[in-house]
Amino acid sequence: MKNSIKVERAKKNITQADLAKLAKVSRQTINAMELGKYVPSTVLALRLAQIFDVEISQIFTLEDSDWI
Amino acid sequence: MKVNYLFPNKFKKIGWLLLIPSAIIGLVTLIYEYEPSFLDFNLPAIFIDDLFKEQKLYGMVKNNILNEILGILIIISSLFVAFSKEKLEDEYISKIRLDSLVWAVYFNYGILLFSFLFIFDFSFLWVMIFNMFTVLLFFIIRFNWQISKLEKSARHEE
Repeated sequence: MKNSIKVERAKKNITQADLAKLAKVSRQTINAMELGKYVPSTVLALRLAQIFDVEISQIFTLEDSDWI
Repeated sequence: MKVNYLFPNKFKKIGWLLLIPSAIIGLVTLIYEYEPSFLDFNLPAIFIDDLFKEQKLYGMVKNNILNEILGILIIISSLFVAFSKEKLEDEYISKIRLDSLVWAVYFNYGILLFSFLFIFDFSFLWVMIFNMFTVLLFFIIRFNWQISKLEKSARHEE
C-alpha cells in the first residue's frame, strides 16, 4: 500500500514528531508508515485523514501487490 | 475497550532492578551449588519420588529454598521486563512485540530440538534448567533490539 503521509505532512508544515503527537502514536510509527514499512490499522488511518482533513483514499492507495 | 495483558510502563524498571541481581546470584549459586543451611526447611510437597524411599503422592520433604526464591524472582522480573508497556505502546509497537514473541518461541524451541539430538544424560539437565528462562530472555533481547533499531532509523529521518 502506498501512502502520501509525507506529502500531507509537508503541506501542513509539521514534523513527524508533531504528527505523532496529534495521532497519539510514537514517532517511530509515523516514520515506519512513511517508509512503507508499516500499514496502519483502520483506526489510525481514519485519525490521520481527520488530522489532515482529507478523504482517507487521498492518503492511502492500493497497489497491485496488495492483491497477492 | 482494549485488553492487551501488559503491565504499566513503570514495571519495566522494577523488572530490570530485580532481574539483573537475581540472575547473577542465581547463576553463581547454580555453579557453586551454594545452599546456606539457614534456608533449609521442611516443606509440604506433592508427587514425592525420592530415590531411596517409597513414592508418595504428598507429604513433607526437606529442601533448601534458595533456588526456589531465585527462580521465582527471575521469572517474575523477566515477565515484568518482557511484558510492561513501552512509554507509548501504540499499534506498531504491539506488532513488533508479537513478531518478537513468535521469533523467540521458534528460536527457543530450535535450540531445544538441537539439544534433544546432541546433548544427553546429566548435561541435558543443564539444558532444561536454562530452558525454563530462555524463552523470555530471547524475547527480551529480540524485542528491545528491534525497538532500538527503530529508534535509530527514526532519528536518521529528522
